[in-house]
Amino acid sequence: MSPLNITHYDAATGPVLHVDGELDYEHAPALREQVERLVLNPGQNLVIDLAALAFCDSTGITVLLAAHQRAQAAGARMTLAAVPANTLRILRVVGLDQVFTILPDSSA
Amino acid sequence: MCRTGDGPEPTEIADAAGTNAAFIALLEDSAEELYESAPCGYLSTLMDGTIAKINATLLNWLGLRREAVVGKARFADLLTVGGKLYHETHFAPLLRIQGELRGIALELKSADGRRLPVLVSSVVKYGGEDEPLLIRTTVFDAADRRAYEQELLRRRQEAERARAEAEQARGEADRARRQAEVERERLADALAVLQQSLVPSSLPVVPGLEAAVHYHTASPDRLGGDFYDLFPLGGGRWAFFLGDVCGKGPRAAALTSLTRYTLRAAALHSPEPAAVLTTLNTVLYEKHAAGGDPRFCTVIFGTIEPGTDHDRTTVRLASGGHPPSLVLRADGHADYLTTPGGLLVGVLPTAPFSTAETTLGAGDTLLLYTDGLTEARTGATRESLFGDDALRAFAADHAPSSASGVITALTGLLESFGDGLDDDTALLALGVPATHPTAHPATNQPR
Repeated sequence: MSPLNITHYDAATGPVLHVDGELDYEHAPALREQVERLVLNPGQNLVIDLAALAFCDSTGITVLLAAHQRAQAAGARMTLAAVPANTLRILRVVGLDQVFTILPDSSA
Repeated sequence: MCRTGDGPEPTEIADAAGTNAAFIALLEDSAEELYESAPCGYLSTLMDGTIAKINATLLNWLGLRREAVVGKARFADLLTVGGKLYHETHFAPLLRIQGELRGIALELKSADGRRLPVLVSSVVKYGGEDEPLLIRTTVFDAADRRAYEQELLRRRQEAERARAEAEQARGEADRARRQAEVERERLADALAVLQQSLVPSSLPVVPGLEAAVHYHTASPDRLGGDFYDLFPLGGGRWAFFLGDVCGKGPRAAALTSLTRYTLRAAALHSPEPAAVLTTLNTVLYEKHAAGGDPRFCTVIFGTIEPGTDHDRTTVRLASGGHPPSLVLRADGHADYLTTPGGLLVGVLPTAPFSTAETTLGAGDTLLLYTDGLTEARTGATRESLFGDDALRAFAADHAPSSASGVITALTGLLESFGDGLDDDTALLALGVPATHPTAHPATNQPR
Protein backbone atom coordinates (compact mmCIF):
# COMPACT_ATOMS: atom_id res chain seq x y z
CA MET A 1 0.00 0.00 0.00
CA SER A 2 1.35 3.37 -0.97
CA PRO A 3 1.69 5.92 1.84
CA LEU A 4 0.27 8.53 -0.52
CA ASN A 5 -3.17 8.36 -2.13
CA ILE A 6 -4.51 11.20 -4.19
CA THR A 7 -8.15 11.35 -5.19
CA HIS A 8 -9.45 13.83 -7.70
CA TYR A 9 -12.94 15.15 -8.36
CA ASP A 10 -14.29 18.17 -10.13
CA ALA A 11 -16.32 20.65 -8.12
CA ALA A 12 -18.26 23.53 -9.67
CA THR A 13 -15.39 25.87 -8.84
CA GLY A 14 -12.63 23.67 -10.26
CA PRO A 15 -10.66 20.52 -9.54
CA VAL A 16 -10.25 19.25 -5.98
CA LEU A 17 -7.42 16.99 -4.96
CA HIS A 18 -7.58 15.06 -1.69
CA VAL A 19 -4.13 14.22 -0.44
CA ASP A 20 -4.02 11.25 1.91
CA GLY A 21 -0.59 10.27 3.22
CA GLU A 22 2.90 11.66 3.22
CA LEU A 23 4.32 14.39 1.01
CA ASP A 24 8.00 13.60 1.36
CA TYR A 25 11.05 13.08 -0.85
CA GLU A 26 9.74 9.68 -1.93
CA HIS A 27 6.07 10.40 -2.50
CA ALA A 28 5.67 14.10 -3.28
CA PRO A 29 6.50 13.64 -7.01
CA ALA A 30 3.22 11.68 -7.40
CA LEU A 31 1.23 14.81 -6.47
CA ARG A 32 3.36 16.88 -8.81
CA GLU A 33 2.54 14.57 -11.73
CA GLN A 34 -1.15 14.67 -10.83
CA VAL A 35 -1.13 18.48 -10.79
CA GLU A 36 0.70 18.65 -14.11
CA ARG A 37 -1.98 16.48 -15.73
CA LEU A 38 -4.85 18.66 -14.46
CA VAL A 39 -6.91 20.71 -16.86
CA LEU A 40 -7.19 24.20 -15.35
CA ASN A 41 -9.22 27.01 -16.86
CA PRO A 42 -8.98 30.74 -16.15
CA GLY A 43 -11.03 31.74 -13.11
CA GLN A 44 -11.09 28.23 -11.65
CA ASN A 45 -9.98 27.42 -8.14
CA LEU A 46 -7.72 24.41 -7.63
CA VAL A 47 -8.35 23.12 -4.13
CA ILE A 48 -5.79 20.86 -2.48
CA ASP A 49 -7.42 19.29 0.55
CA LEU A 50 -4.78 18.35 3.10
CA ALA A 51 -7.13 17.04 5.82
CA ALA A 52 -5.53 13.58 5.60
CA LEU A 53 -1.96 14.81 5.13
CA ALA A 54 0.26 12.87 7.53
CA PHE A 55 3.60 14.54 6.85
CA CYS A 56 5.06 17.25 4.64
CA ASP A 57 8.73 18.10 4.16
CA SER A 58 10.54 20.52 1.87
CA THR A 59 9.86 18.40 -1.21
CA GLY A 60 6.16 18.51 -0.31
CA ILE A 61 6.37 22.30 -0.03
CA THR A 62 8.06 22.40 -3.45
CA VAL A 63 5.15 20.51 -5.00
CA LEU A 64 2.61 22.87 -3.39
CA LEU A 65 4.58 25.79 -4.82
CA ALA A 66 4.65 24.19 -8.25
CA ALA A 67 0.88 23.71 -8.03
CA HIS A 68 0.46 27.36 -7.04
CA GLN A 69 2.58 28.44 -9.99
CA ARG A 70 0.72 26.11 -12.36
CA ALA A 71 -2.61 27.63 -11.24
CA GLN A 72 -1.33 31.17 -11.72
CA ALA A 73 0.03 30.37 -15.16
CA ALA A 74 -3.44 29.06 -16.13
CA GLY A 75 -5.14 32.22 -14.80
CA ALA A 76 -6.61 30.14 -11.97
CA ARG A 77 -6.17 30.23 -8.20
CA MET A 78 -4.99 27.63 -5.74
CA THR A 79 -6.36 27.11 -2.26
CA LEU A 80 -5.06 24.85 0.46
CA ALA A 81 -7.83 23.44 2.61
CA ALA A 82 -7.69 21.87 6.07
CA VAL A 83 -3.95 22.23 6.48
CA PRO A 84 -2.79 20.20 9.53
CA ALA A 85 -1.29 22.25 12.37
CA ASN A 86 2.22 20.96 11.88
CA THR A 87 2.29 21.81 8.19
CA LEU A 88 0.66 25.17 8.86
CA ARG A 89 3.46 25.92 11.33
CA ILE A 90 6.06 25.14 8.64
CA LEU A 91 4.21 27.28 6.09
CA ARG A 92 4.30 30.16 8.59
CA VAL A 93 8.03 29.70 9.26
CA VAL A 94 8.87 29.81 5.59
CA GLY A 95 6.49 32.71 4.97
CA LEU A 96 4.23 30.85 2.56
CA ASP A 97 1.15 31.69 4.64
CA GLN A 98 1.52 35.09 2.96
CA VAL A 99 1.53 33.51 -0.49
CA PHE A 100 -1.00 30.68 -0.36
CA THR A 101 -4.71 31.04 0.22
CA ILE A 102 -5.34 28.82 3.22
CA LEU A 103 -8.79 27.70 4.38
CA PRO A 104 -9.32 26.25 7.85
CA ASP A 105 -11.41 23.28 6.68
CA SER A 106 -12.37 21.25 3.65
CA SER A 107 -15.62 23.11 2.86
CA ALA A 108 -14.15 24.79 -0.18
CA MET B 1 -2.73 -76.48 -14.15
CA CYS B 2 -4.43 -78.38 -11.36
CA ARG B 3 -7.85 -79.70 -11.03
CA THR B 4 -9.78 -81.67 -8.44
CA GLY B 5 -10.85 -84.96 -9.94
CA ASP B 6 -9.62 -88.38 -10.89
CA GLY B 7 -6.52 -87.33 -12.71
CA PRO B 8 -5.30 -85.88 -15.95
CA GLU B 9 -7.68 -86.32 -18.80
CA PRO B 10 -6.47 -88.04 -21.99
CA THR B 11 -6.35 -84.85 -24.02
CA GLU B 12 -4.06 -83.30 -21.47
CA ILE B 13 -1.68 -86.24 -21.67
CA ALA B 14 -1.51 -85.86 -25.40
CA ASP B 15 -0.81 -82.14 -25.05
CA ALA B 16 2.01 -82.73 -22.59
CA ALA B 17 3.64 -85.17 -24.95
CA GLY B 18 3.48 -82.62 -27.80
CA THR B 19 5.02 -79.86 -25.66
CA ASN B 20 7.78 -82.17 -24.62
CA ALA B 21 8.57 -83.01 -28.23
CA ALA B 22 8.70 -79.37 -29.19
CA PHE B 23 10.95 -78.68 -26.23
CA ILE B 24 13.35 -81.44 -27.21
CA ALA B 25 13.40 -80.16 -30.77
CA LEU B 26 14.52 -76.80 -29.48
CA LEU B 27 17.42 -78.27 -27.54
CA GLU B 28 20.83 -78.16 -29.15
CA ASP B 29 21.18 -81.28 -31.16
CA SER B 30 24.92 -81.18 -30.92
CA ALA B 31 27.66 -79.56 -28.86
CA GLU B 32 29.27 -78.56 -32.13
CA GLU B 33 26.17 -76.58 -33.10
CA LEU B 34 26.17 -74.86 -29.71
CA TYR B 35 29.87 -74.04 -30.05
CA GLU B 36 29.49 -72.55 -33.51
CA SER B 37 26.33 -70.54 -32.99
CA ALA B 38 26.57 -69.53 -29.32
CA PRO B 39 25.76 -65.86 -28.62
CA CYS B 40 29.40 -65.29 -27.77
CA GLY B 41 32.69 -65.82 -29.52
CA TYR B 42 34.88 -68.84 -28.79
CA LEU B 43 38.38 -69.45 -29.82
CA SER B 44 41.23 -71.72 -28.82
CA THR B 45 44.84 -70.83 -29.44
CA LEU B 46 48.20 -72.45 -28.98
CA MET B 47 50.34 -71.05 -26.23
CA ASP B 48 52.01 -68.73 -28.76
CA GLY B 49 48.60 -67.32 -29.64
CA THR B 50 48.15 -69.08 -32.98
CA ILE B 51 44.44 -69.62 -33.50
CA ALA B 52 43.61 -73.32 -33.58
CA LYS B 53 39.85 -73.14 -33.45
CA ILE B 54 37.30 -70.34 -33.72
CA ASN B 55 33.52 -70.35 -33.77
CA ALA B 56 31.24 -69.00 -36.46
CA THR B 57 29.82 -66.26 -34.20
CA LEU B 58 33.21 -64.67 -33.72
CA LEU B 59 34.16 -65.09 -37.39
CA ASN B 60 30.90 -63.41 -38.26
CA TRP B 61 31.59 -60.46 -35.94
CA LEU B 62 35.03 -60.08 -37.45
CA GLY B 63 33.88 -60.56 -41.03
CA LEU B 64 36.65 -63.14 -41.54
CA ARG B 65 36.68 -66.53 -43.18
CA ARG B 66 37.82 -69.52 -41.16
CA GLU B 67 40.59 -70.42 -43.66
CA ALA B 68 42.10 -66.97 -43.26
CA VAL B 69 42.33 -67.33 -39.52
CA VAL B 70 42.87 -70.87 -38.30
CA GLY B 71 46.60 -71.70 -38.20
CA LYS B 72 47.42 -68.38 -39.83
CA ALA B 73 46.58 -65.61 -37.38
CA ARG B 74 47.24 -65.17 -33.73
CA PHE B 75 44.69 -63.85 -31.25
CA ALA B 76 46.60 -60.61 -30.97
CA ASP B 77 46.18 -60.09 -34.72
CA LEU B 78 42.42 -59.76 -34.18
CA LEU B 79 42.92 -56.80 -31.84
CA THR B 80 43.24 -53.07 -32.49
CA VAL B 81 46.71 -51.56 -32.11
CA GLY B 82 45.95 -50.46 -28.55
CA GLY B 83 44.43 -53.82 -27.75
CA LYS B 84 47.44 -55.62 -29.21
CA LEU B 85 49.79 -53.58 -27.05
CA TYR B 86 47.74 -54.28 -23.94
CA HIS B 87 47.61 -57.96 -24.85
CA GLU B 88 51.37 -58.22 -25.14
CA THR B 89 52.27 -56.23 -22.04
CA HIS B 90 49.55 -57.31 -19.63
CA PHE B 91 47.10 -59.85 -20.88
CA ALA B 92 49.41 -62.61 -22.11
CA PRO B 93 51.98 -62.40 -19.25
CA LEU B 94 49.24 -62.40 -16.59
CA LEU B 95 47.48 -65.28 -18.25
CA ARG B 96 50.69 -67.29 -18.29
CA ILE B 97 51.21 -66.64 -14.56
CA GLN B 98 47.63 -66.98 -13.32
CA GLY B 99 46.31 -69.51 -15.76
CA GLU B 100 43.09 -67.52 -16.26
CA LEU B 101 41.79 -64.00 -16.80
CA ARG B 102 38.21 -62.79 -16.68
CA GLY B 103 36.27 -59.88 -18.15
CA ILE B 104 39.17 -57.99 -19.69
CA ALA B 105 37.95 -55.16 -21.93
CA LEU B 106 39.62 -55.18 -25.32
CA GLU B 107 38.78 -54.00 -28.80
CA LEU B 108 38.67 -56.27 -31.83
CA LYS B 109 39.21 -54.97 -35.27
CA SER B 110 36.84 -56.29 -37.92
CA ALA B 111 37.78 -56.86 -41.56
CA ASP B 112 35.93 -53.70 -42.58
CA GLY B 113 37.81 -51.62 -40.00
CA ARG B 114 35.08 -51.36 -37.37
CA ARG B 115 36.10 -51.55 -33.73
CA LEU B 116 34.23 -54.08 -31.63
CA PRO B 117 34.39 -53.49 -27.89
CA VAL B 118 34.45 -56.91 -26.21
CA LEU B 119 34.98 -58.50 -22.83
CA VAL B 120 37.49 -61.35 -23.00
CA SER B 121 37.95 -64.27 -20.61
CA SER B 122 40.69 -66.86 -21.12
CA VAL B 123 41.76 -70.04 -19.36
CA VAL B 124 44.87 -72.12 -19.98
CA LYS B 125 44.37 -75.83 -20.50
CA TYR B 126 47.12 -77.88 -18.88
CA GLY B 127 48.36 -81.36 -19.78
CA GLY B 128 48.95 -84.29 -17.41
CA GLU B 129 52.38 -82.93 -16.48
CA ASP B 130 50.86 -79.51 -15.72
CA GLU B 131 52.37 -78.22 -18.91
CA PRO B 132 50.25 -75.52 -20.60
CA LEU B 133 48.71 -76.89 -23.73
CA LEU B 134 46.41 -74.29 -25.13
CA ILE B 135 44.32 -71.26 -24.31
CA ARG B 136 40.52 -71.25 -24.41
CA THR B 137 38.97 -67.86 -24.84
CA THR B 138 35.40 -66.53 -24.76
CA VAL B 139 34.57 -63.18 -26.27
CA PHE B 140 31.44 -61.22 -25.24
CA ASP B 141 30.05 -58.34 -27.23
CA ALA B 142 30.44 -55.30 -24.98
CA ALA B 143 29.10 -52.66 -27.39
CA ASP B 144 26.06 -52.00 -25.18
CA ARG B 145 28.10 -51.89 -22.08
CA ARG B 146 30.66 -49.63 -23.70
CA ALA B 147 27.88 -47.33 -24.86
CA TYR B 148 26.56 -47.30 -21.30
CA GLU B 149 29.99 -46.48 -19.94
CA GLN B 150 30.49 -43.78 -22.51
CA GLU B 151 27.10 -42.36 -21.61
CA LEU B 152 28.15 -42.31 -17.95
CA LEU B 153 31.39 -40.65 -18.92
CA ARG B 154 29.58 -38.09 -21.06
CA ARG B 155 27.19 -37.34 -18.19
CA ARG B 156 30.09 -36.92 -15.82
CA GLN B 157 31.84 -34.59 -18.25
CA GLU B 158 28.63 -32.60 -18.63
CA ALA B 159 28.25 -32.32 -14.87
CA GLU B 160 31.89 -31.31 -14.68
CA ARG B 161 31.37 -28.69 -17.37
CA ALA B 162 28.22 -27.35 -15.67
CA ARG B 163 30.13 -27.10 -12.41
CA ALA B 164 32.97 -25.26 -14.18
CA GLU B 165 30.46 -22.91 -15.81
CA ALA B 166 28.78 -22.24 -12.46
CA GLU B 167 32.22 -21.64 -10.99
CA GLN B 168 33.02 -19.22 -13.78
CA ALA B 169 29.67 -17.43 -13.40
CA ARG B 170 30.32 -17.08 -9.70
CA GLY B 171 33.77 -15.71 -10.46
CA GLU B 172 32.26 -13.20 -12.86
CA ALA B 173 29.61 -12.19 -10.32
CA ASP B 174 32.38 -11.75 -7.77
CA ARG B 175 34.34 -9.60 -10.17
CA ALA B 176 31.22 -7.54 -10.97
CA ARG B 177 30.53 -7.13 -7.28
CA ARG B 178 34.09 -5.97 -6.62
CA GLN B 179 33.85 -3.61 -9.58
CA ALA B 180 30.57 -2.19 -8.24
CA GLU B 181 32.24 -1.80 -4.86
CA VAL B 182 35.06 0.18 -6.45
CA GLU B 183 32.58 2.36 -8.38
CA ARG B 184 30.58 2.98 -5.24
CA GLU B 185 33.67 4.05 -3.36
CA ARG B 186 34.70 6.32 -6.22
CA LEU B 187 31.24 7.91 -6.23
CA ALA B 188 31.31 8.29 -2.45
CA ASP B 189 34.72 10.01 -2.76
CA ALA B 190 33.41 12.34 -5.45
CA LEU B 191 30.35 13.16 -3.35
CA ALA B 192 32.51 13.81 -0.31
CA VAL B 193 34.68 16.25 -2.32
CA LEU B 194 31.57 17.97 -3.66
CA GLN B 195 30.04 18.12 -0.19
CA GLN B 196 33.19 19.79 1.13
CA SER B 197 32.88 22.45 -1.56
CA LEU B 198 29.46 23.37 -0.18
CA VAL B 199 30.67 24.32 3.27
CA PRO B 200 33.99 25.86 4.27
CA SER B 201 36.60 23.35 5.39
CA SER B 202 37.32 25.52 8.42
CA LEU B 203 36.00 28.76 9.85
CA PRO B 204 38.20 31.86 9.80
CA VAL B 205 39.44 33.32 13.07
CA VAL B 206 37.43 36.45 13.83
CA PRO B 207 39.02 38.87 16.30
CA GLY B 208 36.76 39.47 19.30
CA LEU B 209 34.45 36.62 18.36
CA GLU B 210 34.34 32.88 18.85
CA ALA B 211 32.77 30.82 16.08
CA ALA B 212 31.85 27.14 16.21
CA VAL B 213 30.04 24.87 13.79
CA HIS B 214 28.65 21.37 13.48
CA TYR B 215 27.38 19.58 10.39
CA HIS B 216 25.47 16.34 10.61
CA THR B 217 25.02 14.42 7.33
CA ALA B 218 22.00 12.14 7.45
CA SER B 219 23.13 9.90 4.59
CA PRO B 220 26.56 9.70 2.98
CA ASP B 221 25.08 8.93 -0.48
CA ARG B 222 22.76 11.90 -0.47
CA LEU B 223 24.45 15.21 -0.80
CA GLY B 224 23.23 17.48 1.91
CA GLY B 225 21.19 20.55 1.29
CA ASP B 226 22.38 22.47 4.35
CA PHE B 227 25.04 25.14 4.06
CA TYR B 228 26.75 27.86 6.07
CA ASP B 229 29.66 30.27 5.75
CA LEU B 230 31.53 32.98 7.63
CA PHE B 231 33.76 35.43 5.76
CA PRO B 232 35.24 38.92 6.06
CA LEU B 233 33.62 41.99 4.48
CA GLY B 234 36.51 44.30 5.33
CA GLY B 235 36.54 47.22 7.73
CA GLY B 236 36.19 44.92 10.73
CA ARG B 237 32.86 43.55 9.55
CA TRP B 238 32.07 39.93 8.83
CA ALA B 239 29.24 38.21 7.07
CA PHE B 240 27.70 34.86 7.91
CA PHE B 241 24.87 32.75 6.61
CA LEU B 242 23.25 29.42 7.23
CA GLY B 243 20.48 27.78 5.24
CA ASP B 244 18.83 24.78 3.73
CA VAL B 245 17.99 24.21 0.06
CA CYS B 246 15.00 22.13 -0.98
CA GLY B 247 15.60 18.53 -1.90
CA LYS B 248 18.58 16.24 -1.74
CA GLY B 249 21.27 14.88 -3.98
CA PRO B 250 23.18 16.41 -6.90
CA ARG B 251 20.40 18.88 -7.82
CA ALA B 252 20.31 20.15 -4.26
CA ALA B 253 24.10 20.38 -4.27
CA ALA B 254 24.06 22.46 -7.47
CA LEU B 255 21.48 24.77 -5.89
CA THR B 256 23.57 25.02 -2.72
CA SER B 257 26.60 25.97 -4.75
CA LEU B 258 24.67 28.67 -6.63
CA THR B 259 23.22 29.98 -3.37
CA ARG B 260 26.51 30.06 -1.51
CA TYR B 261 28.45 31.94 -4.17
CA THR B 262 25.60 34.32 -4.94
CA LEU B 263 25.40 35.24 -1.25
CA ARG B 264 29.16 35.81 -1.03
CA ALA B 265 29.23 37.96 -4.16
CA ALA B 266 26.11 39.93 -3.20
CA ALA B 267 27.48 40.58 0.31
CA LEU B 268 30.66 42.07 -1.08
CA HIS B 269 28.63 44.30 -3.39
CA SER B 270 26.19 45.57 -0.75
CA PRO B 271 26.21 43.95 2.68
CA GLU B 272 22.73 45.08 3.78
CA PRO B 273 21.14 41.70 4.73
CA ALA B 274 17.72 42.35 3.15
CA ALA B 275 19.40 43.51 -0.06
CA VAL B 276 21.60 40.40 -0.17
CA LEU B 277 18.56 38.13 0.14
CA THR B 278 16.73 40.11 -2.52
CA THR B 279 19.64 39.52 -4.91
CA LEU B 280 19.65 35.80 -4.09
CA ASN B 281 15.87 35.67 -4.57
CA THR B 282 16.16 37.22 -8.01
CA VAL B 283 18.93 34.84 -9.05
CA LEU B 284 17.13 31.69 -7.88
CA TYR B 285 13.75 32.80 -9.24
CA GLU B 286 15.16 33.62 -12.66
CA LYS B 287 17.07 30.36 -12.84
CA HIS B 288 14.40 27.97 -11.63
CA ALA B 289 10.90 29.13 -10.67
CA ALA B 290 10.50 31.31 -13.78
CA GLY B 291 10.94 28.13 -15.82
CA GLY B 292 8.18 26.31 -13.91
CA ASP B 293 10.57 24.32 -11.71
CA PRO B 294 10.61 26.13 -8.36
CA ARG B 295 13.78 25.55 -6.36
CA PHE B 296 14.22 27.48 -3.25
CA CYS B 297 16.12 27.75 -0.04
CA THR B 298 15.60 29.05 3.42
CA VAL B 299 18.46 31.10 4.76
CA ILE B 300 19.49 33.55 7.43
CA PHE B 301 22.07 36.03 6.26
CA GLY B 302 23.74 38.45 8.65
CA THR B 303 26.62 40.79 9.24
CA ILE B 304 28.45 41.06 12.50
CA GLU B 305 30.76 43.79 13.72
CA PRO B 306 32.64 42.81 16.85
CA GLY B 307 32.71 45.66 19.36
CA THR B 308 35.71 47.00 21.17
CA ASP B 309 36.12 46.57 24.93
CA HIS B 310 33.28 48.94 25.76
CA ASP B 311 31.02 48.63 22.70
CA ARG B 312 28.63 45.82 22.14
CA THR B 313 28.86 43.62 19.08
CA THR B 314 26.33 44.57 16.44
CA VAL B 315 24.45 41.89 14.50
CA ARG B 316 22.18 42.69 11.57
CA LEU B 317 20.33 39.88 9.90
CA ALA B 318 17.52 38.97 7.56
CA SER B 319 15.68 35.71 7.15
CA GLY B 320 14.33 34.10 4.03
CA GLY B 321 11.75 31.70 5.43
CA HIS B 322 14.28 30.21 7.83
CA PRO B 323 13.61 29.19 11.45
CA PRO B 324 14.55 32.08 13.76
CA SER B 325 17.97 32.25 15.34
CA LEU B 326 18.41 31.97 19.10
CA VAL B 327 20.42 34.19 21.38
CA LEU B 328 21.84 32.74 24.58
CA ARG B 329 22.39 35.70 26.86
CA ALA B 330 25.09 36.04 29.47
CA ASP B 331 22.38 36.38 32.13
CA GLY B 332 21.09 32.86 31.45
CA HIS B 333 18.15 33.73 29.21
CA ALA B 334 17.61 32.30 25.75
CA ASP B 335 15.29 33.93 23.22
CA TYR B 336 14.41 33.62 19.58
CA LEU B 337 15.40 36.56 17.47
CA THR B 338 12.40 37.20 15.28
CA THR B 339 13.01 38.40 11.76
CA PRO B 340 9.77 39.91 10.42
CA GLY B 341 8.44 39.11 6.97
CA GLY B 342 10.74 36.87 5.11
CA LEU B 343 9.78 34.25 2.60
CA LEU B 344 11.39 31.20 1.08
CA VAL B 345 14.05 32.51 -1.27
CA GLY B 346 13.44 31.91 -4.96
CA VAL B 347 9.67 31.43 -4.89
CA LEU B 348 8.25 34.76 -6.02
CA PRO B 349 9.73 37.31 -8.44
CA THR B 350 9.69 39.91 -5.68
CA ALA B 351 9.80 38.85 -2.08
CA PRO B 352 9.62 40.86 1.13
CA PHE B 353 12.77 40.75 3.25
CA SER B 354 13.58 43.04 6.13
CA THR B 355 16.66 43.49 8.25
CA ALA B 356 16.55 43.09 12.03
CA GLU B 357 19.25 44.21 14.41
CA THR B 358 20.45 43.13 17.81
CA THR B 359 23.56 43.54 19.87
CA LEU B 360 25.61 40.98 21.71
CA GLY B 361 27.40 41.71 24.95
CA ALA B 362 30.21 39.79 26.53
CA GLY B 363 29.12 36.21 27.11
CA ASP B 364 26.20 36.37 24.63
CA THR B 365 26.07 33.75 21.88
CA LEU B 366 24.03 33.73 18.66
CA LEU B 367 22.91 30.32 17.40
CA LEU B 368 21.77 29.51 13.87
CA TYR B 369 20.48 26.06 12.98
CA THR B 370 18.60 24.24 10.25
CA ASP B 371 15.29 22.50 10.82
CA GLY B 372 16.93 19.07 11.06
CA LEU B 373 17.30 20.03 14.72
CA THR B 374 13.76 21.19 15.47
CA GLU B 375 12.12 18.63 13.18
CA ALA B 376 14.00 15.69 14.71
CA ARG B 377 11.58 12.99 15.83
CA THR B 378 11.46 12.36 19.54
CA GLY B 379 8.59 9.86 19.49
CA ALA B 380 7.23 6.99 17.48
CA THR B 381 5.44 9.06 14.83
CA ARG B 382 6.56 11.72 12.42
CA GLU B 383 4.42 14.18 14.38
CA SER B 384 6.36 13.94 17.65
CA LEU B 385 9.03 16.51 16.92
CA PHE B 386 11.65 18.10 19.13
CA GLY B 387 10.19 21.54 18.32
CA ASP B 388 10.90 25.20 18.96
CA ASP B 389 9.86 25.28 22.61
CA ALA B 390 12.11 22.38 23.56
CA LEU B 391 15.02 24.01 21.74
CA ARG B 392 14.52 27.27 23.60
CA ALA B 393 14.32 25.39 26.90
CA PHE B 394 17.47 23.43 26.05
CA ALA B 395 19.30 26.66 25.18
CA ALA B 396 18.11 28.35 28.39
CA ASP B 397 19.40 25.37 30.38
CA HIS B 398 22.83 25.88 28.84
CA ALA B 399 22.94 29.70 28.92
CA PRO B 400 25.30 31.32 29.37
CA SER B 401 27.44 29.36 27.01
CA SER B 402 30.36 29.99 24.71
CA ALA B 403 29.95 29.27 21.00
CA SER B 404 31.90 26.02 21.26
CA GLY B 405 30.03 25.14 24.47
CA VAL B 406 26.59 25.38 22.90
CA ILE B 407 27.71 23.49 19.77
CA THR B 408 29.12 20.69 21.95
CA ALA B 409 25.88 20.51 23.94
CA LEU B 410 23.75 20.45 20.77
CA THR B 411 25.98 17.83 19.13
CA GLY B 412 25.30 15.63 22.15
CA LEU B 413 21.58 16.36 21.80
CA LEU B 414 21.62 15.40 18.10
CA GLU B 415 23.34 12.13 18.95
CA SER B 416 20.68 11.41 21.57
CA PHE B 417 18.00 11.61 18.84
CA GLY B 418 19.46 8.48 17.19
CA ASP B 419 17.24 7.43 14.27
CA GLY B 420 14.93 10.33 15.01
CA LEU B 421 17.45 12.59 13.31
CA ASP B 422 16.81 11.71 9.68
CA ASP B 423 17.67 15.03 8.04
CA ASP B 424 20.90 16.94 7.57
CA THR B 425 21.53 19.44 10.31
CA ALA B 426 23.84 22.44 10.33
CA LEU B 427 24.64 24.45 13.46
CA LEU B 428 26.58 27.73 13.57
CA ALA B 429 27.27 29.65 16.78
CA LEU B 430 28.90 33.07 17.06
CA GLY B 431 29.75 34.16 20.57
CA VAL B 432 31.29 37.18 22.22
CA PRO B 433 33.75 35.82 24.77
CA ALA B 434 32.95 36.61 28.40
CA THR B 435 35.09 39.44 29.73
CA HIS B 436 35.96 37.61 32.91
CA PRO B 437 37.35 34.12 33.13
CA THR B 438 34.65 31.55 33.71
CA ALA B 439 33.69 30.41 37.20
CA HIS B 440 35.78 27.27 36.69
CA PRO B 441 39.48 28.20 36.46
CA ALA B 442 41.53 26.22 33.98
CA THR B 443 43.48 24.59 36.79
CA ASN B 444 40.33 22.86 37.95
CA GLN B 445 39.47 19.38 36.74
CA PRO B 446 37.10 19.82 33.80
CA ARG B 447 33.67 18.39 34.42
